Amino acid sequence: MEKYILPKSELAEYVNKLKKEYEIFGPVSKDNKYVFQSIEDPQDLRLEYDTTILPPKKYFHSPEQIMMEFSGIADSVQEKEPVGKRLLIGVHPCDVNAILSLDKVFLNTYSDPYYKELRENTIIIANNCTQPCKDGFCASFKTGPGIENGFDLALTDIGPKYVITVGSEKGKELAKGFDLADEKETALEKKTINDCLNNITRWIDDVDNIANFLHANFEHEVWMETKEECLACGACTTACPTCYCFAVKDMVELCLEKGQRTRVWDSCMFYEFSRVALDHVFMADRTSRIKQRIYHKLAYTKQQFDVLGCVGCGRCVGICLKNIDPVKIISRIREVPCVPQDPCIYNPQQKSVVDNHNPWLTEKAVIKAVKKITPDVNTYTFKFTSPNMKDYSFENGTYNMISIFGVGESPISISSSEEEKDTFDHTVRVVGNVTSALGKLHVGDIVGIRGPYGHGWPMEEMKGKNVLIIAGGIGLAPLRGVIKSIERNRDQYGRLEILYGSKIPESMLFTDEYGDWQKMPDTQLLLTVDCVGDNDDWKENIGVVTKLCDKITCSTENTIVLACGPDVMMKYVVAKMLKLGFKPNQVFVSLERRMGCGMKKCGNCHLGPVFVCQDGPVFRYSDIMNLPGGVF
Amino acid sequence: MGKPKVAFFKLSSCAGCQLSALNIEPILLDVLGVIDIRYFVMAKRENHGGPYDIGFVEGAVTSPRELEELKKIREECSVVVAMGTCACFGGIPSIKNFCGMTQKQIEAKVYTELWDIKSMPVYGIDYYIDVDYYLRGCPIDKNEYLILIKSLLKGINPLFRFHSVCNECILKENVCLLIHRKKACMGSVTASGCGALCTSLGRECEGCRGPASDCNAESLAEVFTKELGLSKADVARKFLKYAGNTPEFSKGVGHYEHY
Ligand SMILES: Cc1cc2nc3c(=O)[nH]c(=O)nc-3n(C[C@H](O)[C@H](O)[C@H](O)COP(=O)(O)OP(=O)(O)OC[C@H]3O[C@@H](n4cnc5c(N)ncnc54)[C@H](O)[C@@H]3O)c2cc1C
Ligand code: SF4
Ligand code: SF4
Ligand code: SF4
Ligand code: SF4
Ligand code: FES
Repeated sequence: MEKYILPKSELAEYVNKLKKEYEIFGPVSKDNKYVFQSIEDPQDLRLEYDTTILPPKKYFHSPEQIMMEFSGIADSVQEKEPVGKRLLIGVHPCDVNAILSLDKVFLNTYSDPYYKELRENTIIIANNCTQPCKDGFCASFKTGPGIENGFDLALTDIGPKYVITVGSEKGKELAKGFDLADEKETALEKKTINDCLNNITRWIDDVDNIANFLHANFEHEVWMETKEECLACGACTTACPTCYCFAVKDMVELCLEKGQRTRVWDSCMFYEFSRVALDHVFMADRTSRIKQRIYHKLAYTKQQFDVLGCVGCGRCVGICLKNIDPVKIISRIREVPCVPQDPCIYNPQQKSVVDNHNPWLTEKAVIKAVKKITPDVNTYTFKFTSPNMKDYSFENGTYNMISIFGVGESPISISSSEEEKDTFDHTVRVVGNVTSALGKLHVGDIVGIRGPYGHGWPMEEMKGKNVLIIAGGIGLAPLRGVIKSIERNRDQYGRLEILYGSKIPESMLFTDEYGDWQKMPDTQLLLTVDCVGDNDDWKENIGVVTKLCDKITCSTENTIVLACGPDVMMKYVVAKMLKLGFKPNQVFVSLERRMGCGMKKCGNCHLGPVFVCQDGPVFRYSDIMNLPGGVF
Repeated sequence: MGKPKVAFFKLSSCAGCQLSALNIEPILLDVLGVIDIRYFVMAKRENHGGPYDIGFVEGAVTSPRELEELKKIREECSVVVAMGTCACFGGIPSIKNFCGMTQKQIEAKVYTELWDIKSMPVYGIDYYIDVDYYLRGCPIDKNEYLILIKSLLKGINPLFRFHSVCNECILKENVCLLIHRKKACMGSVTASGCGALCTSLGRECEGCRGPASDCNAESLAEVFTKELGLSKADVARKFLKYAGNTPEFSKGVGHYEHY
């Protein structure tokens, strides 16, 4: 790489020259600490800074990003504030590496246009570290103190001057006119960075095997100890340069018609992070949230995106009132580790979706029919209004994100079968804001839909085999498509058994279709309810759905089990199936989590290293059964 | 809903929240255009009786008379909003609950004419009635107030999330007052929504918005005593100031008995 020299006395002049073309951002001092800010006067630059309160991430993944402007419940346009040419100067190597990490999250699949635009319009002048910072441990991950890639130019302070390294074509342009560095200067540069490296005292050892190590220590007492300490304040993730999680919300104006869909930084340390309707919270216990953070940073991100989740910048340590420190946690575990286990690291099936349009935008779909299924459940038949959507297709078991602008967006499974092409169904239970708003709509109303997302049921693998469907409550909706597909191609599948349980007889879904299902050859439909109430006509079973399992006649070989329902039900169903002799790889489950994007970006749907939104919602149980902490 | 009929009521409080509800200039008139304020003694000469669609209740319940009033409010209003920390948790008036005196002693300490005084321990209004929504803060945050109004007009739940004030504070890139200035800041256990107003002005958070979700008051109390050297009594006072009635903040008080 070419190296040049910039005398410190000429830095201000150089920055002023750059200012003609770019808006410049760099570190300035604030109450004896540092922050990245827009630079008006180059004299304000503090390139000798140790670390900043927030990382430069804020210039790419905005703390508050307006995504679209909407009017009415289905019309929206992408917010387009033109991004000018920007230049960040003085970015430390850890933070450059963190941006490379974020690139994978935001650009890999479903490329995010907001991030992309900010990223593409920004030049990065890195700033190699010459002194270790107080809390950093970058050297553990080789993300510092010197920078290897990801920059346009890199500065190294060697006393009266900077050595400038060119890292890109754009950087080459920007270095025009500088004198070449001589051998002595480049040697001094090398030595400066090396000295810094040798002075770093904080390390996490053996980071290549950290995932195995952490998985084996999931039940270590350090987590309970940390739970007692942690304030759940979320400062650590907000200050982290690689944390990407966000929440999506709609803000309306007083007229209630117009407004903006915005995303704001979110954190797995927050109680509400994993909240879904009816106030169910998946990570309610602080211990589980602490583990989510530390495991995600040190292990899961690598599994998910093949990139570092922690770059060792030390911000989470310096900002924590309780000084909760990944380095200390790891060394604390290393003192008395749990018994090592067979490593069983989950590696998701990648499903790369690259297309050029903004994946956040919805397509308008008109309601063709509404059918009341139970007092609080409707089935809607939708059709996209645009002819561009005529090729829309989906797999049974996948879902769409349905938007009622001004209220919100919700993941809802498609409840028709994949063979029906012209229209598609959604069966929705009213539980909260979006679902209530949907409940008020009529034939002819239009909503915004994007999708389909995720992996569906294994229709191919099921061919020639018996199919055993076990569903609870609204969980029958994503399985209705499977039943309809089997009905359509009955000879391609073996025996079909459907076990369905609901709270009361009145809350059973699709009752008017049972007749058709039962008419299919070699098919058994078993129903059960938790209680009958004052319904005297109920002739079927009473009790939980697992009770029906004794009536299963499918052999344990050559059968695929599909299960969907509340987590508690699935826990017992899966246990029962395994007890009956089905293998974990024969069992498929569809999971529910909070979902804010459907595209592996918002992090809301995290289940350990798994993104339920894309790696699922349908999983082969054997793939996830060894996740740290289990599934249910 | 057409223009909803709205009422503002005051129990034991300083009227600061009602004032905040009015102090929303440039858009006060726009708000008045979408709601019909039928009862607001502080702001209007002409007031009308119920029923109302939305009732904002400011203040804590400190007397049997107020309790009767509150029960009537619940009957008259389809939606009841606890407006401000006094109505949510008891607020400043609730510190008397923790002074170790009997109700009679407290009355004697404050008033000279005792024959007509009947006071009770102080609680937020949901100690006595069902409350639909809460606007926290001393005083309330205007932005949150507007979000609630818009949500009610739309018929949705605003689903406020009570993260820590630290989060908002750090988003503003404030230098932490506790870590770097050794000030006893309550931000880490206090619900955000204020935009880290106090800490951005260099003042430690007083905890006026009550506990953040799943906050860990015991752990912060330990920082106050061990690292800042506060006495147990001082720590107790910090947690009792606005929301001592809440189970979360009473954990911060610990087993300290005399305040
Ligand atoms: C893969 C998947 C498939 C689903 N399929 C169906 C279905 O076919 N039929 C059906 O009735 N329900 C289904 N659900 C549940 C449905 O998404 C929630 O009931 C719905 O999001 C609740 O939104 P709300 O605004 O009415 O509730 P509120 O409590 O008002 O929630 C507000 C917001 O929180 C988020 N949220 C709340 N609950 C959930 C949740 N359970 N999952 C994800 N995000 C949530 C959404 O962003 C929502 O807008 C499915 C969930 C998932 C994850
Ligand atoms: S900054 Fe510290 S106390 Fe706050 S959530 Fe993170 S680990 Fe917990
Ligand atoms: S986890 Fe901590 S040390 Fe690692 S990148 Fe994030 S803030 Fe920096
Ligand atoms: S889930 Fe991971 S990326 Fe998201 S806030 Fe937590 S630690 Fe950060
Ligand atoms: S000043 Fe207070 S609110 Fe701000 S980060 Fe520090 S403890 Fe949290
Ligand atoms: S990452 Fe956003 S829903 Fe899965």
